[in-house]
Amino acid sequence: MPHIPLLSVSIFLPLLGALVLLVLRTQGRVLAFALGIGTTALTVVATALIWMRGVPGGFAQVEELRWIPSLGAAYRVGVDGISLPLVLLTALLFLVAMIYSAKVTDQPGSFVALLLLLETACLGSFLALDLLLFYVFFELTLVGMYFIIAGWGHEGSKKAALTFFIYTLVGSLFLLLAFLALYLNAAPHTFDMRVLLAHPPLTGTAAALTFWGLFLAFAIKTPLFPFHTWLPAAHTEAPTAGSVILAGVMLKLGGYGFIRFSLQMTPDAFRQFAPYVMGLALFSALYGALAALGQTDIKRLVAYTSVNHMGYMVFGVGAAALTTTGSAFGLDGAVLQMVSHGIVTSCLFLLVGALQDRTKTREMDQLGGLAQAYPLLSGLFMLAAFASLGLPALAHFPAEFQIFLGGYEVAPVMTALLLLGLLITTALYLRAIQRVFLGEAPTMALPPADLSGRELWAIVPLIILIVGLGLYPEALLRVIHATQQVLGHE
Amino acid sequence: MSSGGSMAQDLRLVLPQLIVLLTAMLALVAEMLRWRRAGLTTVAVGLGAATVVSAGRLAVHATAFSGTFRVDLLNHWSVLILCPTAVLCCLLARQELRGTPREGTVYSLLCFGTLGALVLAGSGDMMLLVLGLLMTSLSGFALAAYAKTEAGTEGALKYFIYGTVTTAILIFGLSYWVGITGSTLLSALGQPNLPAPLLAFGFVALLTGLGYAASLFPFHFWTPDTLEGAPVSVAAYLSVVPKIGAFFGLAQVCRSLPSTAVDWPLVLALLAVASMTFGNVLALRQTNVVRLLAYSTVTQAGYFLLPLVGVRGAMALPALVVFAAAYAAMNTGAFAIVLHTGRTLADFKRLGTTRIFTGLAMTVFLFSLVGIPPLAGFTGKLLLFESAMAAGYTWLAVVAVLNSALALAVYSRVIVAMYFAAPGGPAAPPAPAWEIRTVVGACLLATLGLTLAAQFFF
Repeated sequence: MPHIPLLSVSIFLPLLGALVLLVLRTQGRVLAFALGIGTTALTVVATALIWMRGVPGGFAQVEELRWIPSLGAAYRVGVDGISLPLVLLTALLFLVAMIYSAKVTDQPGSFVALLLLLETACLGSFLALDLLLFYVFFELTLVGMYFIIAGWGHEGSKKAALTFFIYTLVGSLFLLLAFLALYLNAAPHTFDMRVLLAHPPLTGTAAALTFWGLFLAFAIKTPLFPFHTWLPAAHTEAPTAGSVILAGVMLKLGGYGFIRFSLQMTPDAFRQFAPYVMGLALFSALYGALAALGQTDIKRLVAYTSVNHMGYMVFGVGAAALTTTGSAFGLDGAVLQMVSHGIVTSCLFLLVGALQDRTKTREMDQLGGLAQAYPLLSGLFMLAAFASLGLPALAHFPAEFQIFLGGYEVAPVMTALLLLGLLITTALYLRAIQRVFLGEAPTMALPPADLSGRELWAIVPLIILIVGLGLYPEALLRVIHATQQVLGHE
Repeated sequence: MSSGGSMAQDLRLVLPQLIVLLTAMLALVAEMLRWRRAGLTTVAVGLGAATVVSAGRLAVHATAFSGTFRVDLLNHWSVLILCPTAVLCCLLARQELRGTPREGTVYSLLCFGTLGALVLAGSGDMMLLVLGLLMTSLSGFALAAYAKTEAGTEGALKYFIYGTVTTAILIFGLSYWVGITGSTLLSALGQPNLPAPLLAFGFVALLTGLGYAASLFPFHFWTPDTLEGAPVSVAAYLSVVPKIGAFFGLAQVCRSLPSTAVDWPLVLALLAVASMTFGNVLALRQTNVVRLLAYSTVTQAGYFLLPLVGVRGAMALPALVVFAAAYAAMNTGAFAIVLHTGRTLADFKRLGTTRIFTGLAMTVFLFSLVGIPPLAGFTGKLLLFESAMAAGYTWLAVVAVLNSALALAVYSRVIVAMYFAAPGGPAAPPAPAWEIRTVVGACLLATLGLTLAAQFFF
């Protein structure tokens, strides 16, 4: 085992599965999903082995291959305490999404192949240690998601998919320019992220411009107000698995980017502009919550809470940028928030998907009293909703607590305002639960079946993690914190 | 201005070009004897041999014939890119024009035109620029008119008229350069104290002539009509071979032209912006895929200018070469699929589901044209952006980047038709002929593999 390149195996296992599917040219549902579930399950095992092998702090388990040495580019992958939780989350959510989707009958072979390609791209982004390699995987996520939304989404999916693609492509193209600025200013020129992290090459105006280039890319991806406009349509029109991956994994690429590139490669510029970033994050969090409050479509409601939660996350990163000597609560919390949001929101999207399959509508006005018809579905939704609004002992609480703690140290007024977001989300979730699950049942005929085995296999692991992470966040925090220490945030 | 060596050595240095010339003449002989297959075979073997010879001496850097012909990176790679592309275009022509009268002349003309582009790419002398340009455009006129249809004749006429006027302007402008430098050698442009206005005048005239061959805005007027009227195989050729020849020739000039007297990099940067934006905006409205690709070549012409802005930078010429290789592969591939599928967007409806691999290949070519990694077009554009930024033209890179996003909207119209059109539409096209399969396969391999192979360009 010590000689197996586990990182590359994790990245390329899904791609291998996709290629097998392409060669078989099968559109048979059972074979396609058997292959898909098998591949994603193996990937979970591979990432778990990475965790077991240990991540002491700095980049570990590095794998390298030569490629264009004269350009300073190469195939380099490695893992640290910031990327590991996200890698575990990614592997898990793809398995869950694959299981949940096993009912897809429209060209299942292509669907599974695209999901697998997307998994390779997401894992590759989190594990890349080379700017170019990161960029390649980062862009591939767009291609995979574009086809998933456009091909298997709901009514207005083509427009939503193209909007999503163009928005995020614009962002990532600015990312490319920022990367080139980092590359051109490093001496000698290199795309090696470890070198750029150890010695951030930019100063002055160049650093400021690069910072805003990176900011634009990650603000669109995360998304922060006012760059979030692609999100509600994309989330709502995507098939359930697409929403899960989009919210659970791809938004995290934005957060990861803020930490890995903005914070670590242009630290001085980030410190300089942190008040603006935090202000925008604060506004975004409140705006997301208020917008969610105004929704009548329950899937859009969950989508807008993502804007809210990602606002907290960016706020935490901003607080960490301002902290020069103090504690690393903000950053610890931000990483933990990404993981918990991934789990909780994915769980909510799965449950909304199950709800829509049964009632054929997402309009809350047409629903009501579903707790009687579907006690299990309703109970789990309420639990996930409570987690999402930040109830103690559930997943979001420890993350948000740390973010608020970290924020309070550097910006007490903004943090106090940020707390308003918690109140609004509590209100909106309670209202949604009341409108959908309590009260009188609608008159329409509903299929009697509660959650099926397939749905439970996808949802229950997430529920377990919601409770587990709420009660024992230390399991992940230990890994995250070890890296913060290496980074000098103690 | 000492001669590089003996005549024999000079001839050895231009061996690939001589082989191409010989091949073109042999192909003509084959046509006279009405041996159609033999013509095609001759071209494949001859251009293949030229490619192999060039590949074997990438390390050679010299000049031939008293410095008038440059045997360098641009020259070697022009052979390595254009000769295989010309063979692929001949294969497409075989599939498209088989059995038509004068079929064999197409192969011969393609070879002559390619030779012209190779001469442009190796020019160290103004007269060779003129010679190369005339060779590519004269054979181009004949090729464009091949179809003898109304649209074909109109397109060829436009190509001819714009071509003769712009070439005349080029020759007129170059005559001033000869006048002020007292030499036809490009290297003479480096002399100190040349009068700036005349230097600028010559440069603008040169841009007019080469810009026309390269479909660069605002000299692109002929492009959509000519490509639409010409056979698809000829359109593929016209959009790739003369263009790359012209840009390599322009690079040879820019390498010798000091930017102290005239700020020509700024001129090129502004032209690049105009060409990229104009091509994209007009391509957005096309429903004919050939016209869409025609405006897309105007866009890509703008990208070709990015490395020329900072041509003396270490990465500029490799960037130009990599982008040219990527462009040749993805553009030829896209035209090959148009030849097989049809010219209108309606012909592409549901292609992705009826012909899975053809649809996938087209998607790869289009995404590569947008510049999505890890495809060839991305690697090319990455290097272009890098060389523009290294030259201090970050704003140009920003505009180019925004245009890439616009390009996505252009090419995604074809992708949407292929995958997400409502059921119905045309029946599945028949399985592609072996010629098309070969071309698409070769272009696909290059488009997918160039990123990994990029290290060999440095």
